[in-house]
Amino acid sequence: MKLPVMFGAAAMAASLIVTPVFADKLDDIIASGVLRCAVVLDFPPMGSRDDNNEPIGFDVDTCADLAAALGVDYEIVETPFPDRIPALVSGRADVGVASTSDTLERAKTIGFSIPYFAFNNVVLTRDDTGIESYEDLAGKNLGSVAGVFEAIALEEDHNEWDAGGSFRTFQSQADVFLALNQGQIDATVVTGTVAAATIESGNFSGFKIAGEAPYLVDYVSLIALRQEYGLLNYLNLFVHQQYRTGRYEELFEKWVGGGAQPPSLALNGIYY
Amino acid sequence: MFNINYTFHWNQAFRALPQMLEGALVTLQIAVLSMVIGIVIGVLLALAKDSRVAALRWFANIWIEVARNTPALFQVYMIYFGIPAVLQLVAGVFGVNFRALGINIFYLDSYWAVLVGIAFNNAGYLAETFRGGLRAVPPTQTRAARSLGFNAVDSFRLIVLPQMFRAVFHPMTNQMVWAILMTSVGIFVGLNIDLTGVTQELNARTFRTFEFFALAAAIYYVIAKIVTGGARLIAWRLFRY
Repeated sequence: MKLPVMFGAAAMAASLIVTPVFADKLDDIIASGVLRCAVVLDFPPMGSRDDNNEPIGFDVDTCADLAAALGVDYEIVETPFPDRIPALVSGRADVGVASTSDTLERAKTIGFSIPYFAFNNVVLTRDDTGIESYEDLAGKNLGSVAGVFEAIALEEDHNEWDAGGSFRTFQSQADVFLALNQGQIDATVVTGTVAAATIESGNFSGFKIAGEAPYLVDYVSLIALRQEYGLLNYLNLFVHQQYRTGRYEELFEKWVGGGAQPPSLALNGIYY
Repeated sequence: MFNINYTFHWNQAFRALPQMLEGALVTLQIAVLSMVIGIVIGVLLALAKDSRVAALRWFANIWIEVARNTPALFQVYMIYFGIPAVLQLVAGVFGVNFRALGINIFYLDSYWAVLVGIAFNNAGYLAETFRGGLRAVPPTQTRAARSLGFNAVDSFRLIVLPQMFRAVFHPMTNQMVWAILMTSVGIFVGLNIDLTGVTQELNARTFRTFEFFALAAAIYYVIAKIVTGGARLIAWRLFRY
């Protein structure tokens, strides 16, 4: 055998033995048998805890559906809003099912699926503040959860009004409601579903919804690491299947209900 | 296997530097004000703890014990959320509803809650530091001052206090650095204009967690170094023999 042929044969043999394995995140999840979802649990009805301290909500059920589709068990990793990305990057969770607004700013860092839910925002205030509409918020003490979609929009308007009052941000939705209840703030803007669930819970007396906030519809997506195309493709198909099989409507009915229509996830006249 | 799936975008963090430096100014402002208030109250607490009046001793003891033995986060949280809740409850027992009268006596802005909370903490720690410092000034100093015609207040103010401050200057510097770092708990009571608050908002907005927090840590470090360096200069000017 000539030397070049020998080398060639050896190289071929080696390539058969040490075929590089590019197992991606999707493979890892299926191989490990567990899907770990980052879910925010102080954000009813999307995520909260029941009387036995077990995670429940729209997002928890969505995670369970995703795990069932993948044929694995699921594990809920409780994650406050600001910690969703660190949880994914550090590998504590595989997927974020956490009402994450799909801003372009964030898409530089994290990968978004197509929207799996959409929120309209409303003004939440107390009976005694005299606030009747979004316009009445000028000059009042306002607050929201740090960095969320509605907080960014509200802060921009607050700065534009320039009518005094203050704008404060908190680390959790629970703290915002506490501050509203005690009077540190007079009003907040929250998603309509959360406002309705909070008033219904009866934990805070005197809360009321004072009209809609004139913001764009807040589309929220499932999130995964930006470079995990295999997983992101799977998430897109999963969201689509949830919608087309009627599971989306079923979960909406279960967690939001009240005769409301599930928000449309499609826009007319444009591809996603 | 350690595998971090992240590419750093330092450019984005550096663009936000002016905003973060503005936040750092607020941090420094709260720390300085809380130190000034803490020093004044700390001296009074140190005297009260060694006072012959039992009520004063008790008051100082409770303050110092709570300030030194509970987390700073708890103290700030109580001032922002706890005290208003208690006041509201007490007012409710007496059938008073301030809200209905349009008066909101319970409202305490985040900035002030953090300032008061850290001043409370500083005063507690400094009181014990000052008590130690007062012990380091020989009692003969007071006697000598009195025999030279100083009255009780002046002999304390002009003779004992300056010597005490010389003895406790370095522990005071430590407390100042501690105060700067403590302002970061403001994030839990809605403070969004200090260094940590600004950083967390940038983080939530862009999700560039690691860049922003690394930069914030570097800024805290630099501020702390400047403060200790500045204190050394002041000490050299004021306290050289």
